[in-house]
Amino acid sequence: MKAGLSLIIAAVFIAAPFLTGGYELQVLMVALLYVTLTTGLNLVSGYAGQFSFAQGAFYGIGGYTTAIMGRDLGTGFWINLPAGIVVTGLFGLLLGIPALRLKGHFLAIVTIAFQTIVYLGLIQWSGFTGGQNGILVPPIGEVSLFGATLVDITGLTAHYWLTLVFAVVAVWIAWRLVHSRLGREWVAVKDDETLAGAVGLDTTRAKLTAFVASAAFAGAAGVLNAHVMRGVTPDDFTIWISCTIVAMMVVGGRGTFLGPIIGAILLTILPELTGSFAQYKLFLFGVLLVVIIIALPEGLVGRWRKIREARA
Amino acid sequence: MDLFLQYLANGIVIGSAYVLVAIGLTLIFGILGVVNFAHGEFYMLGAYAGVLTVTLLGLPLIAALVVVIAFSAVLGVLAESLLHRALRERDMTSSIIASFGLAVALQNAALLTIGPRPMLLQTDLSMLAVEFGPVFLPLPRFLIPVAMVVLVGLLFGVLRYTWTGRSLRAMAQHRTVARLCGVRVERVAMVTFMVGAGLAGVSGFLMSSVLMVTPIIGNMIVLKAFTVVILGGMGDIMGAAVAGLLLGVVETMTSAYLTNGLRDIIGFVIVIAVLLFRPQGLFGKSVERS
Repeated sequence: MKAGLSLIIAAVFIAAPFLTGGYELQVLMVALLYVTLTTGLNLVSGYAGQFSFAQGAFYGIGGYTTAIMGRDLGTGFWINLPAGIVVTGLFGLLLGIPALRLKGHFLAIVTIAFQTIVYLGLIQWSGFTGGQNGILVPPIGEVSLFGATLVDITGLTAHYWLTLVFAVVAVWIAWRLVHSRLGREWVAVKDDETLAGAVGLDTTRAKLTAFVASAAFAGAAGVLNAHVMRGVTPDDFTIWISCTIVAMMVVGGRGTFLGPIIGAILLTILPELTGSFAQYKLFLFGVLLVVIIIALPEGLVGRWRKIREARA
Repeated sequence: MDLFLQYLANGIVIGSAYVLVAIGLTLIFGILGVVNFAHGEFYMLGAYAGVLTVTLLGLPLIAALVVVIAFSAVLGVLAESLLHRALRERDMTSSIIASFGLAVALQNAALLTIGPRPMLLQTDLSMLAVEFGPVFLPLPRFLIPVAMVVLVGLLFGVLRYTWTGRSLRAMAQHRTVARLCGVRVERVAMVTFMVGAGLAGVSGFLMSSVLMVTPIIGNMIVLKAFTVVILGGMGDIMGAAVAGLLLGVVETMTSAYLTNGLRDIIGFVIVIAVLLFRPQGLFGKSVERS
């Protein structure tokens, strides 16, 4: 069942560029960006059990890193990408420090404050960030190796393929992390921090790495998003984006691996199915969220797992 | 010095609006453990209810105030009974996501029905002004701190001297024991949301003659109210009142003497610093947290 579902999802995303080149592809591409963001958040919130409402801020920091480097230094995507990941990772470390002292809603509020400061900073520091208008970012362009052009990434379809590769790599890295010793340390910290410390785990290291990893995922997605969308503005990185990412994770199933991926895809695609009622899209998104959270407290995958366990 | 006093007065006006929103938020959090992201939407809808009652129906301000309170209270009761009642035994994330969903839905409902055009409440009161020496305040602004003091005083009286207030405080102290002593949890939850939403609605209405009303005004106010709640200590009404006024004054002073760009940021910087060094809030006693 789980393998079957993964295969269907993979088939849809691989077949899509051959079937459509327009709006539908754009929606799927956004879904893939959210897959990367949500999978990253799941590391820190789902596995390590630390609240974070700052994923949207990290997304923005990644995007602005590439935009500003491109503008001031003239560097391209492939140099900006590692730079963006490192910069966001450092900010993740910064946000991880309060997490060493605070728990639960106190930590949630600190991440909300951090998110808001980043957003307001992007608006106010207009000499550096372009203020409310943001910064234009060129498409990724030609990728060449030793003078030979390998591939030209300018159109929607090419960007889509790259986003797909990104999402697959991100999910694969997350899978490896979760199933590594580090991933098990995260779960130990979530389950019982005192006990984890008592048996000799370095809980400080575990929490900080979770924050850095989750931020780095968002940073990578942010760099890519800036090029794909041809620009960044502060309003793309509000607290509401962070809440949407948290919602995707919770709706899919926190702490399950597949859940946040399904949540990201569903919550991106479902509101787009409104068709001629497009102006009600966001309204319906809100209603949908409320209904799902009331009906399925443990998320879609969590519920499915529960049903299966009850049968067994 | 004269200018300083004027800034102080302006800060107190803005701060009073924060206090009214934050007190509802801190009540809902302290008593029910719900982090209500939709609180800014109660503020926004209260503002619209007031402005539209005055401009479309032509009712006097006092009647509009009654409409705002009734409308907001009903909204609060609906949010509690349709949403948070079902989530009461769940962890905090569920109520956060649900209230976030509600906020998105309400905001877009307002956008679809009323539209994005900014509105400002203009009445005959705007012509009048109050002067204390060098300080000059138009009457609608002067009324905000007055209303705040009256409402907070009223709330304190209710919490202190009525059985409803006692049951609310009992719930805040210990939910299970309160239930064992016969406190009706359903009723307390409903009253809490009613009061919280009512205060936020009144705040929105009062501010509608100072700042433009649009469907998105709730976004920033709810985040600021969160900082006030933290600064005052979660669930602490008096703390929220002091912290709200303080935030209003600090923001106004920042904008006056430093730079206007920092105005909205300063509160969030303070809140992170406070959480790192005094997590119990500025005025709270240290308690064991787990």
